Amino acid sequence: MIETKIEARQEMLSSIREHLAASARFDAQAAHPQTAQRRTQSNSATDARNGTVLDLFRQALEAVSGHCSIVQSIDEAARAVQQVVDERKARRVAVSDSIVVKRILGQLKTEAVFLDAPNQSELFECDMGITATQWAIAETGTLVLESERERHRLASLVPPVHVAIIEAGRIRRTMSEILQLIKNSEVGLSRTVTFITGPSRTSDIELTLAIGVHGPGELHVIVIDEPAQPA
Amino acid sequence: MNHPTETAEATGYGPPNAFDQNVLKALGDEQLHSALRNLVVTFGSKRQAAINSVEDWEGLRDEARAIKDETLAHLDRYLEEFANNAERAGAQMHWARDGHEVSNIIIRLLHERNAKRVVKSKSMATEEIHLNSALEDAGIETVETDLGEWIIQLACETPSHIVVPAIHKSKKQIADLFVAKIGIEPTDDVAKLTSAARRVLRQRFAEADAGISGVNFGVAETGTILILENEGNIRLTTSLPKIHIAVMGIEKVIPHFADLDVFLKLLPRSGTGQQLTAYQSLITGTKKRPADEGPEELHIILMDNGRSRMLAHPVTRQSLACIRCGACLNACPVYQQIGGHAYGSVYPGPIGAVITPQLIGLSKATQLPYASSLCGACREVCPVKIDIPALLLHLRSEVVEGTAAGSADQKGPVKRKFAERLAFRLYAFAWSRPFLYEWAARIARLAQRLIVRQGRIGKVSGLVARIAPPFGAWTACRDAPPIAQRTFREQWREDSKIK
Repeated sequence: MIETKIEARQEMLSSIREHLAASARFDAQAAHPQTAQRRTQSNSATDARNGTVLDLFRQALEAVSGHCSIVQSIDEAARAVQQVVDERKARRVAVSDSIVVKRILGQLKTEAVFLDAPNQSELFECDMGITATQWAIAETGTLVLESERERHRLASLVPPVHVAIIEAGRIRRTMSEILQLIKNSEVGLSRTVTFITGPSRTSDIELTLAIGVHGPGELHVIVIDEPAQPA
Repeated sequence: MNHPTETAEATGYGPPNAFDQNVLKALGDEQLHSALRNLVVTFGSKRQAAINSVEDWEGLRDEARAIKDETLAHLDRYLEEFANNAERAGAQMHWARDGHEVSNIIIRLLHERNAKRVVKSKSMATEEIHLNSALEDAGIETVETDLGEWIIQLACETPSHIVVPAIHKSKKQIADLFVAKIGIEPTDDVAKLTSAARRVLRQRFAEADAGISGVNFGVAETGTILILENEGNIRLTTSLPKIHIAVMGIEKVIPHFADLDVFLKLLPRSGTGQQLTAYQSLITGTKKRPADEGPEELHIILMDNGRSRMLAHPVTRQSLACIRCGACLNACPVYQQIGGHAYGSVYPGPIGAVITPQLIGLSKATQLPYASSLCGACREVCPVKIDIPALLLHLRSEVVEGTAAGSADQKGPVKRKFAERLAFRLYAFAWSRPFLYEWAARIARLAQRLIVRQGRIGKVSGLVARIAPPFGAWTACRDAPPIAQRTFREQWREDSKIK
């Protein structure tokens, strides 16, 4: 089996090389203009919208049907989470192992059960998931989750409601900044990085938008924007 | 249940070489037309709005094309780099020369692990090789989990669009299908249909032994695969089961991690008119610690299946720059009239008309390069600036010259070539001599009396069509004005005499 594997690999690579070599004489004739060189300027989206990165993030998130609350402290964040838990009447909540999430859970007054490493059948019965998130992209309202930093892959995906907590200082304007950050992260490039932009959606039936097909149908993002402490 | 031949029967459309008959069938399908009108209007306007939100769309397209050109020119090197880095991160790499090898590798992996139930996310590469029927034959139960693909699978059909595979089906048809197959109460509420699908598919995810996905981009620099989606089924497919198998066409590799920025701006805007789809999963190898979430094994299968052949000429090589956004389908006046099934292959529309003949052999799809008016709308919208009209012409010339690699039946083209050459020689000879030109016009004016009806040249049949078949074919569905009783040259001459 291993021999076939090596053989297939060698054959595919030589096929590529042979066909590329066969193309050389046509390539020379075709005055195929070499398309633009890699550009140095960034392809930042146009911002008719004014304001801080935080304002941009909120607008973009709301444009894709996500909910955004901006709070000034971890206590306020806990109150915001409490409100969602009460409104959704959550009974079983999948949570990640993030420290911020743990601190918030400690302040909640609820009868809901919190599961920080649910098995699969428990997970499928959860009616809410609470996680933190490592980064966010303002232009598109996108959350960026690094698997090396937090166990949040399933809690952010399986339950019908996802509550995500992020510090305002971790929001960047563009995708290109984020790609650099996650690639050069001090914990290394995570095995899985997940970008989340709004709730799960589909238009597969007559192009009619339906929310919450496989992933969460509701996304609540709570941004903690602590005022700078006077020195 | 899902064999390629049977699926063709379920849609009622024939293979690519039955294109002419397929077109007639499609043109008679009123419901298909209203679905296509909806597609064109909705995706057209959303795409335009999404493009307007980028400063320099043209620059982005150029940049994307430059990245693809660079990759394809050194594809061997980038593939090796990709494979080495993915392996270093814990992925297991497989190389497959054709579709059979892909299916065999997957079946072997599943059998070795006693995996019987598979969840799949939408992947054109696996559609291309009819993976589902191969798995079925091997006793493996495979469930498509993308809503549109699942609908198609329940109906035993094939996708009719790259991005929205069930676009040809109405809400009513889908509701009837769900009533019959999963026993829901009749409804015309899309939200209810969607939640019924969620409920049934949740069970499939819970039971699945393995997940199979496609790949949108493979980054050589890091060995990362990136997959885009809106529904969350890809995240479930690649997170819940113990094994994740990703099938990746060799053209999906790009050099640098930073290049993703360009493609993540282009693909969602071109495909669905979104600034970004709801989810992107960037997967680099397998988990580091047993306690981590996610599959224990990641297998990436690199698939050639006719792709490396396309590298042999700069015109055909462009086909490999395609990022499968579907924008050319939505923009194409031909696709807008006939939909996807008429192309008789998993890749419909303008890009299908150029990719299918190259993948399955030109002789099996001689009509597809002609399935275009060469208007260039596809080239205008293509996010990687593929010159599809040039490709169509290139393939047409291969059809005529019979030079296509692997085209066995060269008799037809060669014979036609002789008659055509003779006709065009005569034409050139007569039309370059004013005297002959005028006489030809006079003779034609007399001869046309046989075929002019009520002042027009209508459908030509009978003797004329038999003597000169092209007349019959040309006039079968068009009429033409007859040659004027006094030509311009005659009028000019006579009027100058009067003066």
